[in-house]
Amino acid sequence: MLEINKYNSNILHDITFSLEEDENLIMLGENGAGKSTLAKVLSNLIENNNVKLFEENISDLSDDKRAAYINYIPPKLSIFDEYITLREFFELSCIDQVDNKKIDKLIDILNLKKLEKKYCKAFSSGEKQLLLLGSSILHDAKITIFDELTANLDITRLKEVFDIFNSNYLKQKIVITHNLDLAYALKFKVLYMRDGRIEFFGKHEEFFCNANLKKFYNDSILKINEHLVVNL
Amino acid sequence: MKLGLYIFSAIVLIISPFLGEITLNLNELFDSSTITYKVFWELRVSRVLLAFFVGGILALSGLIFQIIFKNALITPYTLGIASGTTLFTAISIVFFPAMILSISSAFGSLITITILYYISKNINKNTISVSTNSILLIGIALSYFYSSALMLVFYMSNLEQNYSIVRFTLGSLDTVGFTSSFVIFMMAAIMYMTIYVNRAKIKLLLISNDTAFLKGLNVHKLNLLLLIVISICVGVSISFVGPIGFIGLVVPHIIKLIYKKSADQLIFPVFFYGGIFLVMSDLISRNLNTASSLPIGVVTAFIGAPFFVYLLIKRNKKD
Repeated sequence: MLEINKYNSNILHDITFSLEEDENLIMLGENGAGKSTLAKVLSNLIENNNVKLFEENISDLSDDKRAAYINYIPPKLSIFDEYITLREFFELSCIDQVDNKKIDKLIDILNLKKLEKKYCKAFSSGEKQLLLLGSSILHDAKITIFDELTANLDITRLKEVFDIFNSNYLKQKIVITHNLDLAYALKFKVLYMRDGRIEFFGKHEEFFCNANLKKFYNDSILKINEHLVVNL
Repeated sequence: MKLGLYIFSAIVLIISPFLGEITLNLNELFDSSTITYKVFWELRVSRVLLAFFVGGILALSGLIFQIIFKNALITPYTLGIASGTTLFTAISIVFFPAMILSISSAFGSLITITILYYISKNINKNTISVSTNSILLIGIALSYFYSSALMLVFYMSNLEQNYSIVRFTLGSLDTVGFTSSFVIFMMAAIMYMTIYVNRAKIKLLLISNDTAFLKGLNVHKLNLLLLIVISICVGVSISFVGPIGFIGLVVPHIIKLIYKKSADQLIFPVFFYGGIFLVMSDLISRNLNTASSLPIGVVTAFIGAPFFVYLLIKRNKKD
């Protein structure tokens, strides 16, 4: 259960919505619409009093409890130390205890065995995004927000990530993306933002009708055979 | 390489008290009535211990400051803590001669870090991440401010005070008896334990403040604890030996290049080799046969800088 009530700042204006416990969400919107900022507000990386997680105000939650409730996965992995290995990064991702079997299994699933002892800082951007995805699974928060996780993935990897989003490896998901095809296929609830305001919040089928696509994307998107393609 | 380094270090530690201006008569080493005994134990051994623990404190403070502020250039020196400490020590030499120097030094160090921390928190309101460039710039500005204030104090002092201040700013490991080395040993122990106990949390800071926060770490609390403990220990060290630069910057980087491990696993090597580095620099400065012994900071920079550049070039070739 996630609620945000009348949040205002320089970037965001009058943000109010709520998600039930079993609802996943897709956040769409142009560059600079305020999606990442909203994600940071929801995870209290930007301190606030307007967000409620499972009926409790986010500022009143203890650090441990907040970490168990919500996790935010940034678009880019920023890592200060040059010599942290993939294995170590995964160990740091567990918030309670390090579960080595779980880490081994995850490395298998994500097909990262050959990178296990390599330094994360030297990874390619796609590999870094898989690292972040793995980390979010190990963290296993009740709500996980993914900010542009799929931006640098090649097609086969994108399919793998889609399968993971579509499975129950993770509990409740909020996915920020520019990939409309992914957004369409996931069938999550949709939130569309423009200039710091929520322009649309509702069911998947309602958003992806031709009228709304025209309203939000002009003529740049076409719906062909249940797929969304860019109208070049 | 690592084992070889440890053996080399042990040799440096052992031979260090035997070498110096006065040649020792080895038969009299344990005879407390002789001059040899006094020189060896009360001047040399105590000096080696003092150098070792000060070096350890400075190197480790550099490592942790770099982690807290997420910048490879930050040390207590680049942030102006050393000049703050020096200023307050000079003020206490001139205006409050009765005050114990360590107290005013620790005070100067704490004040500086408090200013820096609160300014940086204000710049980054509501967020966990710190803007390291602005902190570095503020630190540099503070250093200049302190230097000019130090000049002011300097011109207000009489000849004798003048001399004490100059001697202090040059830095020296001269010591008689074991009082100073014991105090510094206690400081080193407190600092090392604080860092060691919190090493799992520090490891989260190695990724980023945001990540540490999302994993449920109270980032501000940990940063504040580390900054306070380290500032006091560095302040007290400086009050005994003066501002000795370069160790905090260069030793953590050298150790990282040699070990290639994440910083939380380098707490002991950084401390140990920081100590060895200062002992070795002191050994060199005492045995150069110059008219008076060379300020220790000259030696640390003289051997540290070229070695550091060599390691950097070697690393880039490998990559």
